[in-house]
Order: sequence, then structure tokens, then C-alpha cells
Amino acid sequence: MSTRRARVAVVASAIVLAGCNGTSSYLDATGNAGRSEAILGQWLTAVACAVVVLVCLAIVWGIWRHRGEQNAPSSGKSGTERREIRSGLRWIYVGIAATLVVLLVTFGGTMVTLNAASHPPRVPRLEIDVTGHQWWWELRYQDRAHPDEGFVTANEIHLPIGIPVRVRLRSADVIHSFWLPQIAGKTDVIPGQINEMWVEAKQPGTTRGACGEYCGLQHAMMTLPVVAESPEHFAQWTAQRRAEAVAPMAAEAHAGQIVFSRTCGVCHAVQGTNALGRVGPDLTHFASRPSIGAGILRNTRANLMGWIVNAPAIKEGARMPAMPLDPADLNAVVAYLQTLR
Amino acid sequence: MAAPAIERPLVERLEKIWATPPGFRGSLQSVDHKTIGIRYLVTSIVFLVIGGIEALLMRSQLMVSGEHMLSADTYNQMFSMHGVTMIFLYAAPVLSGFSNYIWPLMLGARDMAYPRLNALSYWTYLVSGIFLYTSLPLGAMPNAGWFDYVPYASRAYNPGLNIDFYALTVLILAVSTTVGSINFITTLFKTRAPGMSLNRLPIIVWGTLTASVANVFALPALSAAAIMLFLDRRYGTHFYDPSAGGHPLLWQHLFWMFGHPWVYIVVLPAMGIVSDALPTFCRRPLVGYTLVALATVTTAMIGFGVWLHHMFATGIPPLALAFFGGASIIITIPSAVAVFSWLATLWDGRPWYPAAMKFMLGFIALFVIGGVSGVMTAAVPFDWQVTDTYFVVAHLHYVLVGINVFPVIAGVYYWFPKFTGRLMNERLGTWNFWTMFIGANLVFFPMHIVGLLGMPRRIYTYPSGLGWDTYNAIETVGAFVFALGVLLFAINVLISRRRGEVAGPNPWDGPTLEWSTPSPPPPYNFAIIPVIGSRHPLWEDRLDEGSSRSILTRGPTLVDGRETFATTPLDAEPAAIMQMPEDTYVPLALAISIGIIAYGLLFSQLWLAALGAVATVVCAITWLWPNAETVRDGVASTEFGDLPVGRSGTHSVGYWGMVGVITTEASFFAYLLFGYFYLASQSSNPWPTEAPRPWLPLANTIILILSSVAVAWGERGIRLGRRTRLRIGYAVGIALGVLFLILQGVEYSREKISPTHDAYGSAFFTITGFHGAHVFVGLIMLCVVLVRAFKNHFSADRREAVTNVAIYWHFVDAVWLAVFTSLYITPYLR
Repeated sequence: MSTRRARVAVVASAIVLAGCNGTSSYLDATGNAGRSEAILGQWLTAVACAVVVLVCLAIVWGIWRHRGEQNAPSSGKSGTERREIRSGLRWIYVGIAATLVVLLVTFGGTMVTLNAASHPPRVPRLEIDVTGHQWWWELRYQDRAHPDEGFVTANEIHLPIGIPVRVRLRSADVIHSFWLPQIAGKTDVIPGQINEMWVEAKQPGTTRGACGEYCGLQHAMMTLPVVAESPEHFAQWTAQRRAEAVAPMAAEAHAGQIVFSRTCGVCHAVQGTNALGRVGPDLTHFASRPSIGAGILRNTRANLMGWIVNAPAIKEGARMPAMPLDPADLNAVVAYLQTLR
Repeated sequence: MAAPAIERPLVERLEKIWATPPGFRGSLQSVDHKTIGIRYLVTSIVFLVIGGIEALLMRSQLMVSGEHMLSADTYNQMFSMHGVTMIFLYAAPVLSGFSNYIWPLMLGARDMAYPRLNALSYWTYLVSGIFLYTSLPLGAMPNAGWFDYVPYASRAYNPGLNIDFYALTVLILAVSTTVGSINFITTLFKTRAPGMSLNRLPIIVWGTLTASVANVFALPALSAAAIMLFLDRRYGTHFYDPSAGGHPLLWQHLFWMFGHPWVYIVVLPAMGIVSDALPTFCRRPLVGYTLVALATVTTAMIGFGVWLHHMFATGIPPLALAFFGGASIIITIPSAVAVFSWLATLWDGRPWYPAAMKFMLGFIALFVIGGVSGVMTAAVPFDWQVTDTYFVVAHLHYVLVGINVFPVIAGVYYWFPKFTGRLMNERLGTWNFWTMFIGANLVFFPMHIVGLLGMPRRIYTYPSGLGWDTYNAIETVGAFVFALGVLLFAINVLISRRRGEVAGPNPWDGPTLEWSTPSPPPPYNFAIIPVIGSRHPLWEDRLDEGSSRSILTRGPTLVDGRETFATTPLDAEPAAIMQMPEDTYVPLALAISIGIIAYGLLFSQLWLAALGAVATVVCAITWLWPNAETVRDGVASTEFGDLPVGRSGTHSVGYWGMVGVITTEASFFAYLLFGYFYLASQSSNPWPTEAPRPWLPLANTIILILSSVAVAWGERGIRLGRRTRLRIGYAVGIALGVLFLILQGVEYSREKISPTHDAYGSAFFTITGFHGAHVFVGLIMLCVVLVRAFKNHFSADRREAVTNVAIYWHFVDAVWLAVFTSLYITPYLR
């Protein structure tokens, strides 16, 4: 395909998709695999639009050709008189030949893109083990050069720009699908098998990742912010995420930690304390995460209180039970959680 | 052409023979294909409306971001029921409705090959729909989507009755669809008018035939998957349980092996409606008839090789992705043939545009949009992005609304005068078309864009600020416009039924045989069985399609009871006179019995299920027991020479039906064995841990082969007229079959594992268990034949049941050989 035609294709699809600047549009992708998929998508969109326009024109032309004719059976003899009927087959042959050409080009483009998207340009050093839960994401970062520098986080993913990352996908319960729209396409998260994909961010920015496969009540609320940043910023972030929680200074927060360990620690972990639960998300750096409940609420003090008191009322079916803490304990726990930066 | 003038005594005699008794009780017994066809149409359109209301509720929720009018749970039940209702209870049955009504009229027969089976097909469909919707008052509607992926649909994550309703509904519906399909296939090959050769069939007949053959092979995949699901949920097996050797992807493979052919099953007959009706309004024959017929068959064949494109994101190796992506792109070509054929017909014709034609032209536009977005999703890497987004929702609705609903509405406008004798209102029809066409594009086109903007499917709400709000608002408005269009359609039907303009036999000047009958047609369809000379029997005066002419006004009348011709499969030469059954309650009773089994299983009331099973067997035997009045041996002399009456052998419809049953059952076992080997290939542990000892099963294999030999010997005997040999052969066969079952029980008692131990145990016992059940059913059939043999029901000329049961018994043996090889031999080949 010539560059000129490619440009035409891109322009055509840009017209069709004017206004596609939302944070999960993948036709203006920023990831490596995502970008080759986007180019394929733009070509396909352009061809599709052209075909639809041509066929609609063909229908209109067919009607236009016969304008003014009185063809209804009641209107006279036109249909009943004996006449030569042309076979018309050549229209089918010409149409099929044109279709074949378009399909062959599409197939070729698909294969080239498939090949490009299947393998990373070099062996990824950084690995993320992602586990899908009903309805949140658990992420375990590992650096093969520094095996002891791994850490666990939840419902957030940071990617260094220009560095391929291997992602291994597991499920704790049902089938999910891991989707970072602007970075790469979906790969399903299936219990009983470990799927792998690789991603490489190309431009800085925050986008919205989501679960792609219907996984039950809160499939809609299983999202995570995807932050692509320079390797330097990424290193800072990982260093901060590796750090264990610092014991709080303030008395209220300190009291909150005791309540937390006793009640919340059954399910949640805070590294560096005796809260070691593995059932719910790791909360070691909870306060620096932008949202609560895999995207259902912004992470504010008021939202956090409501969430702790009765999470299922906010997120129907959430596995976190309502926690009827007395007001003093609740304030203390919230104060403690807000120190976990 | 006017309907041929027919003598009054003949009409009165036929009327007496064929008319259904009046009143409610008569209607419960009716086996008239026209009655059944209308019932199918009305029922499926009621389900279309119910599914549409579910869609409107969902669209109302999604109209603005952050809306919580429906809870997450309710929303998820709504989209699941919308899918199940539309796909299973509307899209396929509505096409069965057309085909049921139209086929015998187009083919020149007096009814379908199996009128009672036809009634059974409808009643079981109705039972399955009622069964599914009892989940509504119980608040336990299916909630895992129409695709019903495990493990979300397994008991651990979905403990209510929701998914049990789903599994049992698809199993009941499988009965309906399978018997319906076998009926269509047999009708096509056996009961056409003399001269209606294969190259003269209307395209809708090709479409329904292709869909029916596809059903016979595809549906057992869903049945097998649903049975495994139900066993997993209720009886502790592990087919889909990864913690015990099962695998959730087994469901997906089986489901889409069924699901993708099903897409073609619900569009090919609808495309056939257009290929037949569009030429009428273009006043010329369809361009490229042969190519379109071939394209129809080709589509279905390729359609069996593309199921993996629903699973591109499940972690499949690139080579398989390339293959299935390629196949999914290639399947466009036969569809393109049809599109160019319609366009060429329009260009070269003399078109006029009543409402039916408007719907068909709108259909072409929607079809192309749905087609090209399909090609886009076939491009694997692009699919990784668009799959499970609203882009796919847009695609599938352009396909299903475009290629199913629009032709269906067009078909109703086209054949309504045949159904009722009155034309539908054209002015209302024009409004109907434009509201539906604009509505469909308003609701579905923005879904492409919002999908490309990253909106996932199956979300009950979404936040604002992602650029989705405006498109969703437009879609909701579009949905209500579309619903208004459907309402106009319903109003038009109701008004025109009473007050429409009287149509006469052929208001559109159509070319095909159904337009030669009065509107509405009499119960016997044709007073005089037509003899067909060309593809367009009513246009022969104006086309140059060879010199032969159809004969519609004189010829055979067959007035000695409910009779029609059985013809040869390819050239449709009369081979025998078929005796058709009388009206009967038995199909209704059988369908109710099946419903009782389902409710028994649903509520774990095994006594109720057992009661239903006994009732089913009683109904089946009543059904098959010959009615003394219709047993009339002999030879009748006709215009086509002396023809046997009710002859057996390959001339009998029973033979064709048995071949259909065996084909679908063989497919069922093939899918079960696929499951066995798939789980073996995915297992990280040795499969099985310990290979089963083959000696007792080997002995059992020999016993079963000997029983087959005995039955074959007995069947051969009756061919030669030796009734004693028949009795001895079948008695020995029964004895050996019983011995097989006893030894199978011994084998089970010696097994160390159980069905609930692991996935291997589940597969082992399910496969051998289903085979054992087939042996049991075969034994019942052999016993019935043996009893009838002692009553001297059979002779060399009249031995249809003997032969068919023998064929079934040999089939059961052949299945055992496959089961034995798979379960007892292959573990030693590692």
C-alpha cells in the first residue's frame, strides 16, 4: 500500500471518527502493539466506509435508473409482456473480483499486524503478574534483574515509556479480560491457564483500563488507571511502591492502625504491619491511588467513610462486607488509611 | 394467472378429508403446516416484542451516564434475557414460521413430510419459551449472557436457578429445532410436486434446507455443552472446573461450534426471503440463481470453520489465529455474491416499491454495514481491541436486525395476502419502513463509534467524561423510534387482517407456486397436484426458460384420504403415494411431557422428572403405533403409472428421518468425544491417571456386534418374507443388548473412580452413560417392533419400522466402537 493511499485512509477515518479523544479510544493509540492495531483499524474503517457508500450509491442508482417507470402489475402491461431477460451475471463477477482484491489486502495487513503484535521487539525484563478478581485487579511487579525488588499493588498500573513489559494473566475466580485500550488489545484472564501478553507504552499520559469480559454483577466497575510515564518517573514510582508503610505519628491514625489490623487486616494487607490479609486489595499505598472500589468512587475522605460503612450499598455485590464500626473507630481507620501514601 | 377452476364435488371431498375440526379442541390437534406456520410467526413476534421491551429498559438505563434505574443484577438479567429471547425464541423460530407456511405451497405438496413432528416442533418451542419465562416471576432469570460463559455460570459463582433455566431451555429448544430441521430436510427430498427438481427450488427453500442441515450438525454441540453444564451445576461433575481437570474454554469451544453456524442458520433463510421476493418486485428472475444457491450452501459450510473468531483473545497460538482470521474473511465472498445478485436484479429489473420492497432495499444497506464491520472484526489484531466493546454490539445488531428482522417484516408484507387473503396497508407500511429504518440506524450506528471510543459491552452503567454520553443518548432515542416502527407494524397487521383490501391469489404477480393457490389456501393446498416445468411456473408465458410448461389445472387429485406424492430426491419424479397422518393430540402431550421433565429437573423433584419421562415414552409409542385406518397396502394407478402406496425402503420418509436422527446423534457423540480429548490435551496430569482395563468392555463390544448381526439377520429375513426369522433375530438382538447393559453395570461397579472425582471421571461416565441410554432406547424400539412382529404387522413390502429400528441399532453399535476406541484403547497409545 502506498503512503499516499495510507494517508487517504487515515484522513477518511479521522473524519468518520472526529471527536474520538476520550481516554479509552484506541484508534489514537499510544502503545506499541496498540499503534499497529490502530493503523490496521484505520485502514479497515476507511475501506468499510468506502464499501458502504458504494453499495448505497448502487441502490440509489438502481432506483434512479428506473425513475418514472410505471412497473406495478396493476399499472398496465409492462411486466407481463414477453421480453428478453439479460442474465446480469457479469455484475456479480465484477463485484466479486473487486471484493476479492479488497479482502486480500485486508488479509495481508492483518497478517503483518498480527506478526508485529505477537512478539515484543526485545525480551522484556520487567514483568507484571496480573490477577483478576471479582471485581478488582491485583498486580505484582517483578524486575528480572532485581528479583528482590518486587511489590504488590491493586487497581492501578504504571508503565515506563519505551520499555516492553511482559504481563502474565491469572484469574482468582471467573473469566475476565485485561484491556489497556490505548496500549494493547485484550487478552482474556482465564482460570486454569496463564495467558501472556506484552505491552509497551510510547507516550506519557493517563488512560482508562477495564475488564473486557463479562464477569458478573460489577463487570462495569472493574477499571484501573493506566499511567504511562518516563522511565525516571516510573523508577520513582516503583521505589515508592516498594517501601513499607510508615507507622503513623498522629494519635488518631495510630488508633486507626490498631482497629485496622484487628478488623480489616483479615482481608487486606499493609506491608510492614501485621495486617496480612490476601483476600482484598493490598492497601500499603492506598492513599496515593486515585479511586476506591476499582473505579466506582473518587478517593476522598467522605467517599472512603461511606465505602467502609457499607460497600455493597455502593457497589452491589461487592465482596467487601458492610463494616458497622462505631464513629470513633471509623474516623480513626479513615485517618490511618489517609496516611498510607 | 387466476386460480384454476375446480369442480365443486372434488373441493368438498378434499375439504372433508383435510379440514381440522373446528373450535379450540380442534386447534390443539391440528397438524396443518399453515396453522403451525402462523403459530410460529405470531409466537416468535411476541417474543420479539418481549425482547424489545428488555432492550428498551436497558437503553433507558444507558441514556445518561451514572444512571441506576435498574440494579446491576436486574440489568445483567435483562441483557441475558434479551439475547436468549431474540436469538433462540425469535430469530430462528420466526424463519421456521415462514418456511412451515410457505414450503409445501412452494414445493407443490399438501403438507410437510411429518405433519405431527411439525406440531411437536411448535409445541416444544412454546414449552421452552414458557419454561424460560417462568424464571421471571421467580426473579431468577438467566444472568450470564446468552453465551453463558463458565465459570461465572457455574454453581460456585451463580448458585441460583438462573443458569439452570438457561441450560434446560436450550435443551428443550434443541428437541424442537432438531425435529423441525429433520422435517424440512425430509420434506425437501421426499415431498415435492412432480417436476420440482433441485434446480427449480426457490432460494428460501435452499436457505432453510441449508440451515436445517447445519442445525443437525451444530445443535448437538450446544446440547452437549448444556448437559455438561447442568451436570456440573447439579450433580458435581467437573467438565468446566479447572481445579479438578476440567477447563472453562471447553464451554467456549462447544458453544461457538454451535454459535457461529447458528448465525448463518438465522440469516440464510431470511436472505432467501429477499432472493425470492425481490425479483417479484423487480419483475424479472433473480440474477445468478445458481450462484446464489451455491453461495447459500457454501456460507454454511465455511460457517463451521470460523468458530474460533469468537475466541481470538483467549490466548490462542498465532497460527490458529491466522487460519481462523483467514476463514472469517473468506466467508464474506458468498455473501457478496448475494448482494451483487440483488443489486444486479434491481438494476436490470423494472422495480416498483411497495412496503415489502422498501424493507428489502433497506435490508441490503444494513446487510452491507453489518458485513463490513464483520470483516473488520475478522482482522485478528483489530479484534483484540473491538471484541467485547459496543463496536461488536453494533456489528451483530446490523447483522441480526438487518438480515433477520428486515427480511422478516418484508416477508410478512409480501405473504400477508397469502396468509389472510388481504393486503396490508401501504401508507402505514411506508411509515413503518421509515421509522424502523431510521430508528435502526440511530440506535445501532453510534454504537460503532462509542465502541471505538472504548465502551465495553455488558456494563450496566458508565461514568461521564469519556466521550460516550452523547452517542448513548442518541442510541436511546433511536431505540424508541425503532420500537415505534415495530408498533406501527403490529397495528398494520391487526387492522389489515380485518379491513385490508382483498388480495386475490396473486396480488404481486409473483412467479412461484404458492401464488397459484387461493388466498388463503385451502387445508389441502392444491386440489390438483401441480406438475412443474420450470423455475417460475407462473411466469412461463413471458420468459424464455426452455420449452417445458408447468401443468396446474389438470392432473392427479389423490382423494382417497390424506395423501400426497413421495418423489425422488433429485428430479422429483413420483415414486410412491404417501399417506399423511390425521390430526392428533399426541404432539401436544409429548411436548407437555418434555416440559414436565424439565420442571422436575429444575426443582430437583426426580419423581416429577421420572413421571415426565414415562409420559414421554408412552406418547412416543402411541405416536409410532400404526393407525389401522391408514394402513392400506397396495398399488394405485395414477397419471405417473402405478405407484405403491406407503412403501418402505429408501422411498419412505421414515428412512430419511432416521438418517437425520442418526446424523444429529452421531454429531452429539462426536462433540462429547471432542470434550474428552480437549480436556485430555489441556490436562497437566496424566489422563487418565490409570488406564481402564479393556477386557470386559472388549467382551461387551463383541456382544454388541453379535446383537447387530442378529438384528441384521432378522431384518434381512422380513425382506424375504420370513416372519419367524424376524422374530428370532430381533429376540436374540434384544437378549444380547440386555446382556451388554448388565455387563456395563458390572464394569461401572468395578471402576475405582466416580463421575464426581475429577473431569476424567465425569467424561468417562457421561460418555458411556449416554451410550448406555441409547442402548436402552434402542432396546425399547426393538421390543416394540418384536411385539408388532408377533402381531404380524410386517411383510416384505411393509417393514418400515423393522428397517428403521435396525438402522438405529447398528448406529448404536457404531457409536460404541468409537467410544470403546477412545476410552479404552487410546490411553494405551501414549
